[in-house]
Amino acid sequence: MVTSKGVLVFARNNAQIDYCKQAYALAKRARKFLDVPTSIVTDSTEFLLNEYPDAEQVFDKIISIVWKEEDLAENTTLSKTENHALRTFYDGTLIEKKLHFKNETRTLAYELSPYDETLVLDTDVVICNSTLKKCFDRTHDFLIYRTSYDLANNDRSTDFERISDTSVDFYWATCVFFRKTPTNKLFFDLLQHIQENWPHYNNIFQINTPYYRNDYSFAIAIHIMNGYQRGDFAKDMPGVLYYTTDKSILWELNDTDMLLLLDKQGYSGEYTPIRTKGATVHVMNKFSLNRCIDG
Amino acid sequence: MDERLEKALHFSNYMVTLNNQKRVLKERFREQTLYYYQGGQFTVTKELMTFVGMLVEQGNDEDIVLVDDNETPIMVKDLTEFQGEILNTYFAAANEYHAEYQNLRKNRSVEALVGYE
Repeated sequence: MVTSKGVLVFARNNAQIDYCKQAYALAKRARKFLDVPTSIVTDSTEFLLNEYPDAEQVFDKIISIVWKEEDLAENTTLSKTENHALRTFYDGTLIEKKLHFKNETRTLAYELSPYDETLVLDTDVVICNSTLKKCFDRTHDFLIYRTSYDLANNDRSTDFERISDTSVDFYWATCVFFRKTPTNKLFFDLLQHIQENWPHYNNIFQINTPYYRNDYSFAIAIHIMNGYQRGDFAKDMPGVLYYTTDKSILWELNDTDMLLLLDKQGYSGEYTPIRTKGATVHVMNKFSLNRCIDG
Repeated sequence: MDERLEKALHFSNYMVTLNNQKRVLKERFREQTLYYYQGGQFTVTKELMTFVGMLVEQGNDEDIVLVDDNETPIMVKDLTEFQGEILNTYFAAANEYHAEYQNLRKNRSVEALVGYE
């Protein structure tokens, strides 16, 4: 039996950030470095097709997800969680904007994915090597990064150790690999339950943040799947997850190289340059990423 | 600004950038030393190379179980072949690390360090 493999990205634009652009660039890189197709889940299908005329060739499938009145009647996860929070997005240390953050659909990945083996990626992951391809060779059915590497080398060791000081281990929902198995179906159903009852889980797991965050709900679900203890339901993704926060700036993006300006902690507005070669990086500064994609 | 302080700050910026580049190189070396075999992930360390070398030397080179980075037991059918692969992985990474490191040492300005001249 032939197993279908591919990347799934979620792109839901807000007033200033074109996530479709990032997804479009990511799909091309996924084809080049990972040799797999990419499907996009978006609520901006018309915009995507107008803005990128070859989108239907670049993407394997374009999956429209639009909040409709019927969702309310049918009581779908989407209808219960469609509550876009305003979040602060930085473009370096000196510019900040409050914009809508539409991150609620990630938990639908299992249902929406057209693939037997899916690699879910954030649109702001810039693929520069083939390491992520190794996911598809791994025997384990659910992979996620537990740790990450801050290119700025700022002391964030405690930020991403646990979801809060008194809670469970942190996991990065940025890159997730899963196979369609009954156990993973159970996991994604649980994720939807957590998302729909976020105030409760936010309270129980002592997160105390007003925002819904996928990293947190994935961490909670993994903890529950492990029997409320540490376990091996989730194993590590291959390689290293490099990241830069949105207070750093992506300055130049070539085929496999990036030039980044890293924020100097404690010196607002000052940066240190760094060049990466052949490293896949999660670039959280979406404004600078879009500027670099534009060239 | 006092010229002495200005020069020191200039040098300080250079050192910060140099250290950043060294850090990234080191991390890349670490990533390049990952070897994937039969769905398992092995970080090729001196310890792994020595252990595998010792087993091969003793003639134990078929159907050997090794525990990978994720604590998953992986059956290695042909350990001699595995040894060759991990040595290749390690030295390809080490040679690249060495070459890039030597390049870094030649660069005497922030711009040159990050290839933005």
